[in-house]
Amino acid sequence: MKKIFVWALTLIMVTGLLSGCSETREESIEPKKTKDGKIILDFWTFWGSETRRPIIEKIVNDYNASQDKVFVKHTFLPWGDIWTKNLAAIAAGKPADVVINDINSVAHRAKNGQAENLSQYINDDGFKDKFYPELWKTVIHEGDPYAVPFNTDTRLLFYNKTAFKEAGLDPNKPPKTWKELETYAQKLDKKKGDQYERIGFYPLWGSFGPESWMMNADNGQGYIDEKGKVKVATKEKVQALNWIKGWNDRIGIDNINAYKADFGSEQSNPFIAGKVAMMVDVGTFYTQIRDYGKDMEFGVAPVPAISESDKNWSQGGGFVAEIPKGSDNPEEAWEFIKYLTDKEAQTYWATKNFDNVANKEASEKAMNMLKGTDQEIYKATVENLDVTKLHPVPVDSPDYQSKINPMIDSVLLGERKASDALKDAEESVESSVGQ
Amino acid sequence: MFIYEGGKKMDSVYVKSENKKSSKAVKKQKMEKRHFIKSLRHREELAGYLFIAPWIIGFLFLMLGPLLFSLYASFTNYNITSQMKFVGFENYKRMFTFDELFWTSLWNTLYYVVFSVPITTAGAILLAVFLNQRVPGIKWYRTLFYLPAVLSGVGVYLLWMQLLSPSTGLVNIALSWFGIEGPAWLYSPEWTKPALILMKLWSVGGGMLLYLASLQGVPKTMYEAAEIDGAGTFQKFFKITLPMITPVIFFDIVTSLIGGFQIFQEAYVMTENGDGGPVNSLLFYNLHMWNNAFEMFNMGYASSMAWMLFVIVMLLTVINLKIGKKWVYYEGGDQK
Amino acid sequence: MRNVAETPLFQKRSFRLKCKKILVSIILLTGSLVILSPILWMLSTSLKTPGEIAQFPPTFLPEKFQWKNYIEAWNTAPFTRWALNTTFITFFVVIGNVLVNSFVAYGFAKIRFRGKNVLFIIVLSTMLIPGFVLLIPQYMLFSNLGWVNTYLPLIVPAFLGNAFYIFLLRQFFMTLPNEMIEAAKIDGANHFQIWWKIAMPLMKPAVITIAILSFNGAWNDFLGPLLYINDEKLYTLQIGLQTFKGTVQTQWHYLMAASVLVLLPVVLIFFFFQRYFIEGSNITSGTKG
Repeated sequence: MKKIFVWALTLIMVTGLLSGCSETREESIEPKKTKDGKIILDFWTFWGSETRRPIIEKIVNDYNASQDKVFVKHTFLPWGDIWTKNLAAIAAGKPADVVINDINSVAHRAKNGQAENLSQYINDDGFKDKFYPELWKTVIHEGDPYAVPFNTDTRLLFYNKTAFKEAGLDPNKPPKTWKELETYAQKLDKKKGDQYERIGFYPLWGSFGPESWMMNADNGQGYIDEKGKVKVATKEKVQALNWIKGWNDRIGIDNINAYKADFGSEQSNPFIAGKVAMMVDVGTFYTQIRDYGKDMEFGVAPVPAISESDKNWSQGGGFVAEIPKGSDNPEEAWEFIKYLTDKEAQTYWATKNFDNVANKEASEKAMNMLKGTDQEIYKATVENLDVTKLHPVPVDSPDYQSKINPMIDSVLLGERKASDALKDAEESVESSVGQ
Repeated sequence: MFIYEGGKKMDSVYVKSENKKSSKAVKKQKMEKRHFIKSLRHREELAGYLFIAPWIIGFLFLMLGPLLFSLYASFTNYNITSQMKFVGFENYKRMFTFDELFWTSLWNTLYYVVFSVPITTAGAILLAVFLNQRVPGIKWYRTLFYLPAVLSGVGVYLLWMQLLSPSTGLVNIALSWFGIEGPAWLYSPEWTKPALILMKLWSVGGGMLLYLASLQGVPKTMYEAAEIDGAGTFQKFFKITLPMITPVIFFDIVTSLIGGFQIFQEAYVMTENGDGGPVNSLLFYNLHMWNNAFEMFNMGYASSMAWMLFVIVMLLTVINLKIGKKWVYYEGGDQK
Repeated sequence: MRNVAETPLFQKRSFRLKCKKILVSIILLTGSLVILSPILWMLSTSLKTPGEIAQFPPTFLPEKFQWKNYIEAWNTAPFTRWALNTTFITFFVVIGNVLVNSFVAYGFAKIRFRGKNVLFIIVLSTMLIPGFVLLIPQYMLFSNLGWVNTYLPLIVPAFLGNAFYIFLLRQFFMTLPNEMIEAAKIDGANHFQIWWKIAMPLMKPAVITIAILSFNGAWNDFLGPLLYINDEKLYTLQIGLQTFKGTVQTQWHYLMAASVLVLLPVVLIFFFFQRYFIEGSNITSGTKG
């Protein structure tokens, strides 16, 4: 009987030795250092794809070459799961030094003590002016910044110019209001018997959800205003939801469901295939048209506004660089974040990735460096940032979406009236704010 | 009931053949055995603990601490990173009085368990019986049917999202060949759960493997004896095969019940941002718990949900074990 | 028994047997087509160009088979290294699971000792608690031991018993006749010898099942390596596959091609091991004849 235990024990020890000898075993007490005495700075991102990895790694390598105290070690972690791991590492007291995280939940994380307060490191009053104000606003919790914006995105109306010509519309005059959007869409519809061969437009295809349309209608106001007041059941939002329901009724739920999955799949795209004439999507969707669209003629325009007197409100998101609570080298981490969000690195990121960046100067510079259609589209996205709103997770009611979304679903399925459902949603969110 | 009767019958068949063979030898040795019984019992106990020692070490070292930690956390406002204050039964109260989604998620999970467990169990048994036949190419069939079970997590779910696409998905295209207009699956609140059950049924090969292994233990002679008595295919299946594999059926039901209650990743991957799908129809218990723990950092509440689930499933498992004693037939003699 | 083969009764039986075989074959063939279609879809995607994947409606067969996807996908990242890492972990996990769980299961199934039933209920109950409330405390535990960024958190637990496998093997060992064990004891064998020389060989299909299941589990494990490994050089294949999933665009052709390659060893393992699942291969069934 002993034999087996001895054997098992040996195996465990051999394994231990093998993994112990592997070059990267962590020393838990001393700060990690390279052989030549540089401090190792752990930098976690989810940019591991063939397209993004070389870009972030060049930025990191440039930084490493530029100074001799710190060695930044970039580690790829899968999207989404990176944050689970980040949490576990913070809980265990051994987090990375810099992590790329979601911009909309900075305050939520700050409130729960997951990120370092950066105000102690910012000694330059002008620092925040380097970034778009809407983005900077999002990284503030109780007056202090807890992260620095890195990149962002914005949503635009993409439209098929060939289809416009076919339908007798001017390809250089995209719809500006909801009303125009409707008349254009009906002209762009192409039917064969009962079957649609092309659908002009449906608001929820692409990446502009009910929340975004309701915000677009309500003068850029999201579900919760800056003072923390819940604004779910406003007149404008009810109107917007009814408007979407109108599209459902006209096109038919079956036809809508038919394409919905394909828009979500990131594979075959009905817009690129010419089956849908207009859609709202993020600026980087352009790269898909460029790569797979085979000389498709298309244009971009701001998201149509509810009326001529309203603004073309759009929705944005993005990512930030932050220092997880408990990092061993917060000062070095801060220096690296400064570099990451400064003009040079940001310009490089913007031009190589076709991504909107948080640094205003870099944004302008990238716009001038790009050429042809690239430049045209990039310019449109940069200009659109002025009317782009972010919707940070409210710290008092982080689960607000799970209360509102089912209500919206029930309205769109025709089970409930928009005004009633949104009222219920509002009350439900309010009650959890009070908790 | 029929299983139970079958078990009885089997018992007598088995005892008969066994008696013939070894009764003499056993008798002879019975006398000598008695002398050893006392010291044997002591050694037996020791051996028992030695055998389960690895698990005990594992339990004490890996499980006990974290289990107690999470139990304690369920009475606090633990948020993983910065706070852990005792709040009494606050979390448990919230579950029953305030959190409507708790009930939604419990209902969704029950729905899934009630349908998926019997369907997949029956499916796995049937498949195993078919794959236990000696037909040409059986090796290939076995491998093919087992394939879905080895395809790993997230990739499969993404694949299925494609297959279930209402217009261009393979499932609805295949249905249209038979003149059936397929539903919108993941986009229609009534069809989201059936879609997941369908997907589960597809990967029934994992369960099949267990049954295939247990079918190897059914003695051929039993079938031969039954055939001489004129039993047909179905009779043989219900009177011999089924009773003989009851230990594994029991295992499968208990574990897939436990697994069914913990369904998570499917819903997490196949809904937008893991938000629970249309009208929260895919908001399963564990998904709701995950969102509480890792999206809202309300780990205290999530822990209390986990322990509530523990109580629910424990209850069902104990019932299972009690009923199991009635219908599970262990050839080895221990009726436990 | 085989002399009945000459009788008319047997001939009739063999005809019916043939019919049955054909019927079974037809059912299996249709079934495998249904089962296989999602996998064929995966194969088809793995052989397309990204442009073709973006087409709408999707094509069933690739216009031109892009075999180079497989080579390119493998070369975009250190997949060979990751494959070796995964093999290393899987090897130990399988050995641990097979030996330790069958050992423990034998104890629960065939040895009488006080508190057995209570302990077994505890074994079962460890399965009932959803894993992710234990995730954080377990991470803290391994982190305090200094095991983060080693393979220890992935391998050591495999040597300390797994409730699911213990339960399964116990169910199989329970079917071993007590008489057989008593007889062995009288012959002077202790439980260790009975476990190793009688129970294990008799329950070969069950043991192989555990080997296959734990191979799958370790090979496909994602959360474990994700949490505990901080160094890309020590990554496993499942994390590697995630590199194809981008925030803006997913490289489906590479993702599918690499998934097929990752899947291959698991399929091969099963194909070679399934020969142990031959009707009546258990010696227990033989002893009763």
